Amino acid sequence: MCVTRAGKVVSTSQGRARVEFFDGRALDDVDVSVVNAKKGAFVEVFGNLALGLLSPAEARRRKQAWAEVARVAGAVHE
Amino acid sequence: MKADGVLFHAKHAYMPNSLGYCGPDEKGQIQRDLEGNRSDGELVQTLQKFEAAYPFLKLIAKSAGKEVFDYSVPEAYWIGNRLLDLVPVSDFYSFSHHEIKGRDPVKVREVFKRLDGIAPPHHTFYVMSTYATAAVPDGPNVTNEAKRKIAEVVDNCRISWGVVRKVGKDELQAEVRRVNVEDGGLSLTLPAVKRVRYNPDVRPFRNVKAGDVVSIHWGYACDILTPRQSKNIARYTDVDINLVNRLMKSEALRR
Repeated sequence: MCVTRAGKVVSTSQGRARVEFFDGRALDDVDVSVVNAKKGAFVEVFGNLALGLLSPAEARRRKQAWAEVARVAGAVHE
Repeated sequence: MKADGVLFHAKHAYMPNSLGYCGPDEKGQIQRDLEGNRSDGELVQTLQKFEAAYPFLKLIAKSAGKEVFDYSVPEAYWIGNRLLDLVPVSDFYSFSHHEIKGRDPVKVREVFKRLDGIAPPHHTFYVMSTYATAAVPDGPNVTNEAKRKIAEVVDNCRISWGVVRKVGKDELQAEVRRVNVEDGGLSLTLPAVKRVRYNPDVRPFRNVKAGDVVSIHWGYACDILTPRQSKNIARYTDVDINLVNRLMKSEALRR
């Protein structure tokens, strides 16, 4: 199923972008035209469409949440 | 029974995974297993790595006292059946906080508060409520083009269904009702024909024919539905849309 993923726009070209997600993955060709996201913006992506812009504070919170998930997952797998 | 459930689940999880939107990078394994009709341990292990779908199956299975891949469990999640009614809302609430990674806890609380505890653990509800709680720019500045794109992504991500009108080599023409984004809510359009890909090497598509009803995910026909399933997916989708339209009225959710 599709989950919304939060990440940072690292490059853009004609309304499309490469987004690096806080979960460590990345997706090319994300449509950022609805939210008009620029390079450096934090976005919430659903499928291949950026549905929302995140404030830096909100992005920080999401990033910390993912770091915590990764930390717990790492501890479980050790 | 379990093999059927594994394959049913894999058929519906396959396309968004192949597009890179969810689940592990499994390098074509799901497709190969579906074409070979194999439901062994390797496929199960791959399906267990999906960050949202698998936890949802566990939630439903636990409430129903079934195995995770009992056919009725993924059927409840993707299509809808009475097992959804057996999941206590308190369990779903707790699950939404602790099992689904990356969701905003404040918005999760607001969703359950708004819906008075009638949120179903149904894939389409999850998809549509995700849209309803995303920070989507709205108001008079939303262009028709943006609305079209949003409707398209919600429509692709939910499980839709269509009546097959014409069968091609690897494409079907199916009569579907798409998601429409209107002011203040979602709805379904009137039926219209849409081209849908399918894989004739995946059972039972070798025998697909006009008049069959197929489930569809990201423009790909996942399975041929029974009359009971066809009724259920329409019924549960209707419930989901009504609930999500209540959420859409909440300003707190759209910040």
